[in-house]
Amino acid sequence: MSDLSEKDIEIFIEAIGGYFKQITQEAASIGVAYLAKNAFPLNDFTGMIRVSADYDGALYFSAPSAMLRHLLTVMKETNQSEENLLDAVGEIANTISGNARKYFGENMVISIPEKIAGLASMLNEQSRRHAYVIIIKWKHYSASLIVDISRLR
Amino acid sequence: MKLMIVDDSNIIRNRISRIMADAKLPEIEIIGTASSGTEAHALFQTAHPDIVTMDLTMPEMDGVECTTLLTNLDPDVKILIISALSDKATAIQALKNGAAGFLYKPFTDDELVNALLELIEE
Repeated sequence: MSDLSEKDIEIFIEAIGGYFKQITQEAASIGVAYLAKNAFPLNDFTGMIRVSADYDGALYFSAPSAMLRHLLTVMKETNQSEENLLDAVGEIANTISGNARKYFGENMVISIPEKIAGLASMLNEQSRRHAYVIIIKWKHYSASLIVDISRLR
Repeated sequence: MKLMIVDDSNIIRNRISRIMADAKLPEIEIIGTASSGTEAHALFQTAHPDIVTMDLTMPEMDGVECTTLLTNLDPDVKILIISALSDKATAIQALKNGAAGFLYKPFTDDELVNALLELIEE
């Protein structure tokens, strides 16, 4: 088992940057990835994708409700119910991990999204010692992408 | 041509519907949406769509399996896969199983409209 490299993490940074650029036609500011130990910057809603086969762990996209509402408005979605905010974090996490397979290949098998409202306390229990955290700033909002993945083979 | 939208995400189904409504394409009429492969299979048999947008990552029945089912029912149906899965193997597998095209998420309004127009012009 080995941790992902900086080059590997760059793939996720490109994917989340590309998502905001494509959906909002506006670049988000993506921070440098840092290693976090147990103190993850979680927000109101979190989407989680589990990875398996040649990889183990999960990817999380966590965002405040105000940011998700704004993103839905950009997408002309008028239904901003909690169900749709959960749908949005799940869809973003799914898109980032799916796009990353262009680089990691089909042997990074990804799950359907799991969606969590409120602080995802289980994340602290589940994550490995070193997970990468990437902070995304868009307009005046701040979200986080947490890459808690190891390579098995 | 009759279009069916298959995606487990509410916001993606709504977004595709909205983009198509805004595009005002007289040749494409949305006849229904499905949030799973099972729902899509049932709707397909009553609504008989000519074209389908199909997500891949869905619970119970994934989009590749659903594509196989639908193309077995009607080999002329044109299925556009809309997925974030960006590896070559997934696209090849979907095309082998009967899909006619592939659009990567995230997509812009124009990319979706152009992909569907290309599909019906084939």
